[in-house]
Amino acid sequence: MPMHAKITQMLFSVIDELNQLRPPDEHLAKDLETPIAGDSGRLDSAGLINLIAVTEQKAAAELGRPLLLTDDRTLSQVNQVFRTLGTLADYIHLRLSEKNDG
Amino acid sequence: MEIKAFTVADLKTALVSEDFWLTKTLPITKHRALSYSRNPRAAADDLVLLVAYQDNQVVGYLGILPDKIFSNDAVYKLGWLTSWWVEPSCATAGVGAILLFKALNAYDQYIGVSGSSREARKALQASQRFMALKPLQGLDIRLRLNVTRDILRGFPALKIFRGLFKIVDGMLDEVMGFRRFFWQRRKNPCQGLTFEYISAIDEEADRFIQRHHQQDLTRKGKPDFNWIMNNPWILSAPLKDAASKKYYFSSRADRFSYLAIKVFEHHPEMMGFLLLKVRNDRMSVVFSYFENRHAASITAAVFHHALVMNMSILSLYDERLVASISEFGCPCWSTKKKSRGFSFSKAFADIPLANSRMQGGDGDLVFY
Repeated sequence: MPMHAKITQMLFSVIDELNQLRPPDEHLAKDLETPIAGDSGRLDSAGLINLIAVTEQKAAAELGRPLLLTDDRTLSQVNQVFRTLGTLADYIHLRLSEKNDG
Repeated sequence: MEIKAFTVADLKTALVSEDFWLTKTLPITKHRALSYSRNPRAAADDLVLLVAYQDNQVVGYLGILPDKIFSNDAVYKLGWLTSWWVEPSCATAGVGAILLFKALNAYDQYIGVSGSSREARKALQASQRFMALKPLQGLDIRLRLNVTRDILRGFPALKIFRGLFKIVDGMLDEVMGFRRFFWQRRKNPCQGLTFEYISAIDEEADRFIQRHHQQDLTRKGKPDFNWIMNNPWILSAPLKDAASKKYYFSSRADRFSYLAIKVFEHHPEMMGFLLLKVRNDRMSVVFSYFENRHAASITAAVFHHALVMNMSILSLYDERLVASISEFGCPCWSTKKKSRGFSFSKAFADIPLANSRMQGGDGDLVFY
């Protein structure tokens, strides 16, 4: 499976985990267009913090790669990185590719 | 959105800048900024305040209180999170997350949290980067009934009966006062105790504290107590001033003060040191130093001060004082168990924090 597809699958499993803690009418859709943070975002501070923590965990477990989403580089562009699930998938892909290149 | 990070040095500059204080919402009050800038455990380049601005207005902030903790012979620098606020209309903008992770990064992941709101606890738990220490088990002892306030808080429509409630309050407290009077005459718990009030830690108190703080996690000393007493975050003031209306956290109370007491018994040697905090009608023992065998006398000293100062509630978190309350037997309206939680980031996981003593004023709790 290509890396981007693996990342998408991983993020969908993150959403499954987050949804367990949310009431049914606030469940996040497993869709790359699902807004996360920003004007139309669906997650409050605790929700976004949880998403970051679970994503880092699952990246290590499911992709076998350590991923840090709380460094200054990511924090300086939170609204771009976490605008939708798709933008997050792209960013993770970029970060993991950089590690490969490095 | 722009996040500005203020170090101690930056805050000193902000204090004399006019622009910093012009925003609709203030990220800090002037007296709190002064306090941050005088923290004896902070270096000039320590980060102490993160502020999120959007269109030149404050939409979030997080204060950080630099401190040191001690475990065996090692000293660790950490920051206590304090005053974490996000403008509700920006709740989904990621402001809270950015502030938290920036604070963690600035302190190499060594962060502590003392007490916290429900929202903050939820966010900290969600981060999976914190572990909770066993909470301090304390007591709230109600010395005066003061039901007027509680009734009016629950049933504001009964405000017209305020006078009547106050009379009933007063009468019932008089009855309790009589009971205490006879109890004091019978037991005379403060017999032989003398006190010295100090506005700054003197040599004798300093030596005494140093002898008794070795098991404490934060090992407060003379510079710390002098700083705390002279730089409160809450001022005694009758009304909300312009700044307190623009600041989300407490900045004033009708009555707020610290009382540093040296306790003596019979001989000229000190047997205890207490730092008491008075906020309105509540007295809290925020730091206490004494030997276990003197717990009953120190309890008597604390009670005596709470009664003389007409406090409604006395809060204790020193387990020795809490344990001696049941034998003390002073008449009171009720005792209620309370707990104070402390969390530390997982960077502390290998450090045996639980072996050390936490006090009721640790973290930022001494200031509220």
